[in-house]
Amino acid sequence: MVELQGTLVLLILKTLAHGPNHGFGIALHIQAASDGLLRVEEGSLYPALHRLERDKLVSAEWKVTDNKRRARYYKLTPAGRKWLAKAEDNWDSMAKGVGRVLRFA
Amino acid sequence: MSDRDDFREEIEFHVDMRAELNRAGGVSEDQARESARRQFGNATLIQEDMRRMHVNTFLESLLQDLRYATRGFARQPLFTLTAVFAAALGIGSTSAVFSVVDRILFRSLPYAHDDRLGSLGMIAPLDTNEFLFADAYFDWRKHQTPFTSVTSFTAGVADCDLTQTNPLRLGCAQVEGNFLSTFGVSPVLGRDFTAQEDVPNGPRVALMNYGLWQSRFARDPNIPGKTVLIDGQPVTIVGVLPPNFEMPTLAHADLLFPEALDEARERAGRALRVFARLKPDVTLAQAQAAMQPLFEASLQYVPPQFRKEVHLRMRSLRDRQVQDARTASWVLLGAVGAVLLIACANIANLLLARATSRRKELAVRAALGAGRGRLIRQTLTETLLLGTMGGVAGCALAWALLRMFVSLAPEGIPRLDQAALDPRVLLFTLAGSIASGLLFGIAPAIQNPQAESLTGSRTAGTRRMLLREWLCAGQIAISLVLLVLAGMLLRSLWKIQSVPMGLETEHVITAEFVLSRLGYSEDARQHQFLNELEARLAKIPGVGSFAISDSLPPSGGTRGRLLASMQVEGQPPFDKGTGGLIMWRYVTPGYFSALGIPIVRGRAFTENDRAPGASSMMLSQTFAQRLFPNGDAVGKRIKTVEWATIVGVAADVRNLGPLQPAEPEYYILRRHVPDEISHIQEPPTGWRQAKVAIRTSVNANVMAGWIKREFAALDPALPVTIGSMQRRVGRLVDRPRFNALLLTLFAGMGVLLAAVGLYGVMAFLVAQRTAEIGVRMALGATPAAITKLVLSRAAGWTLAGVLAGLAGSIFATRALQSMLFGVEARDPSTYLVVLPVLLLIALAAAWIPTLRAARVDPMNALRHE
Repeated sequence: MVELQGTLVLLILKTLAHGPNHGFGIALHIQAASDGLLRVEEGSLYPALHRLERDKLVSAEWKVTDNKRRARYYKLTPAGRKWLAKAEDNWDSMAKGVGRVLRFA
Repeated sequence: MSDRDDFREEIEFHVDMRAELNRAGGVSEDQARESARRQFGNATLIQEDMRRMHVNTFLESLLQDLRYATRGFARQPLFTLTAVFAAALGIGSTSAVFSVVDRILFRSLPYAHDDRLGSLGMIAPLDTNEFLFADAYFDWRKHQTPFTSVTSFTAGVADCDLTQTNPLRLGCAQVEGNFLSTFGVSPVLGRDFTAQEDVPNGPRVALMNYGLWQSRFARDPNIPGKTVLIDGQPVTIVGVLPPNFEMPTLAHADLLFPEALDEARERAGRALRVFARLKPDVTLAQAQAAMQPLFEASLQYVPPQFRKEVHLRMRSLRDRQVQDARTASWVLLGAVGAVLLIACANIANLLLARATSRRKELAVRAALGAGRGRLIRQTLTETLLLGTMGGVAGCALAWALLRMFVSLAPEGIPRLDQAALDPRVLLFTLAGSIASGLLFGIAPAIQNPQAESLTGSRTAGTRRMLLREWLCAGQIAISLVLLVLAGMLLRSLWKIQSVPMGLETEHVITAEFVLSRLGYSEDARQHQFLNELEARLAKIPGVGSFAISDSLPPSGGTRGRLLASMQVEGQPPFDKGTGGLIMWRYVTPGYFSALGIPIVRGRAFTENDRAPGASSMMLSQTFAQRLFPNGDAVGKRIKTVEWATIVGVAADVRNLGPLQPAEPEYYILRRHVPDEISHIQEPPTGWRQAKVAIRTSVNANVMAGWIKREFAALDPALPVTIGSMQRRVGRLVDRPRFNALLLTLFAGMGVLLAAVGLYGVMAFLVAQRTAEIGVRMALGATPAAITKLVLSRAAGWTLAGVLAGLAGSIFATRALQSMLFGVEARDPSTYLVVLPVLLLIALAAAWIPTLRAARVDPMNALRHE
């Protein structure tokens, strides 16, 4: 399993880029989208979500789900969208760099 | 926003969903729940984490920043000390000067709507301030349009005596009935004058100063209505003035009496100081224009010869009070502002150097997720903390500087006694600290931490280096301007002090006194006192020569006579205008030898000249030449009040100070018995005011005691002020000396800071380029070549600073012109002295780092890479 600490924020925001979602949905999505390779710790996910909310990269509101349960939905703010775009670029170049280094070695 | 229940509900939802998912996988209800809970982990702990995300607010992160900043400063004590020292120097000197000039330039005067108040009158060569004779004042008061109210008081605050148990010498002013209401002042106790009190021969009433009420009457709340004895006459106190009351001329007055102008009889009357409150929307210039016709009409009261020399003057009350202190105030404020600017540039430079060495640290923090805003805030927090520490240290410095100012300051700086580090000044200091914190914090803060900094390459700092060099050049430029200004003032001071005054001031003790109105209103009584005093002084051992006069140099005599009103034997009457006012003194024979004034022709007065029937006078050299351009003055006769024979001509004395040419003057001999001249008892003090000059080789303090004893024997209640001639003359250059001293101090601070700054930049440059220097040396560069390399870099920006400084000096000295004496603003010799001094200091500052560069060991330097 890959260590997720530094990239968790990137994954959360990327997930929310597809549309508003609640914490469980985000965790599920990351796991599914990575074919089960990445698994998010709940102990990191929820504090991270609330930090993003405080930093105004996401906004949150209580909504009722399809099966009539109240859930806290997170949504990307314009600032979050901008941050995400930049982080994705950085990530791409870093991934490329790391990839090259690994291949070289 | 989010409370405990919300967190719990959010977590429960998650667990429920997970459990549902597990159940769908075919596990039993209980097991599904249990495993979902286990997977989630410690819910309470996570809930706590979530909560903390929200309470980590601005304040908390500020505290975090502060802790971080403090740790950083503690790790680099030298940096911190230098920065705080620079900030304290800048902020402290600025605060001290501000506390003084604030009272002069900015702070509102203690009157309601003080900006609507003005002073108006005629300006004539007699007086540097505008005045108005009562006859003209009556017309102006009646016909004026631009003011809601005009008021006056009789020029000069006269001495008067509180004559009851423990007599006290007081200052008494005579003010018009509407004086307080025009200035918007009301008594704290009792009432203002009524219209019935400000009439000729009205009731004897007075308003009392708060200070007198406090010190002498123990704040007696029943003082209104009580009677006190002034000069032996009962006076009823009607009210007490507020504690912050001051006369518009800043003269000290303990009691205000009604002026009681008599419109029917006062036609040739007294000189008044006139003040007015402008109507709303009327400017000073408009008011002056509106008063011009009235002024022209009232020229009829001015003697015809005088008319050309008289003008109308209207100015704001502040200008009236500040007089000529305005330019000096702005120059000093500008100078400390410049010091503050240098200090800021200096600290910015230090911070930039520090930022360069912290690039890696900041880059690491950025990589760990600190946003750019967060990093800028961190940097700004650090600089603001520096600013605040500098501000606190600056306050201490300001306190010390202010005490120094007050002890060194010459007389005549308005309101200096009130200057203090009060809340307003402290607020200014705080604002100054924050502003300078921001100013020197901007440069380092906007430097964006870049990822490449992590690579350890050294190319990233180039742009920043350029900024640092510019800051350095700026500091040199500003210090050059300060040095030039200080140099000009010093040269001017030197010129002033080298002007011969025309007297020998050493070993001359002075005593000044004003005989009380009550006991000495008749000239016979005055003569009796002065004759006895003369006899007693002559008997004091160690008294060489001495004189009693109505006035002493340096200051024009207190009496003047128009040249046109004199008659010179054998010459036609003077008919070209007034001929100006010729000042004269009423002296005893010892005057010239006591003051060391040489006799140019003829002889000095002798005791024989005082014999009944004899009548003699003496002229100053300038006056003698003016009256008798082609012949000897001695033996000629002149009529002033009575005919007198000129017995001698005395050398000129610069009475108006070294800045003014010697004015013509003449001397009348004081006799032992009343004569025509001693009958002229002009208000406010007649001949009761007298001054004694004693030449002695005895220790001044001992002699002062002896003199006081003689006075006490004659009149125990008479206050006598003992001084020295040296002090009297020295006072004339006090103001220029004070200005020159302060500006030199600030220029010194500026240069010191600039030198520290230059040294810092050079040292940093050398440290940064150690490797490069190593390579050059390895490739065969000699230490001399390296020295040249480093020094030429320093020389480059020093030169840039010098050029900018020269340009700035040309502008700055223009503002200084009115404070200069005998020195042109473009005087090249000041530059010729100042420039080498500055360059030498710059070279010294650059020398140590350069030496270090030249001694770089190539092996060591290259090993670092």
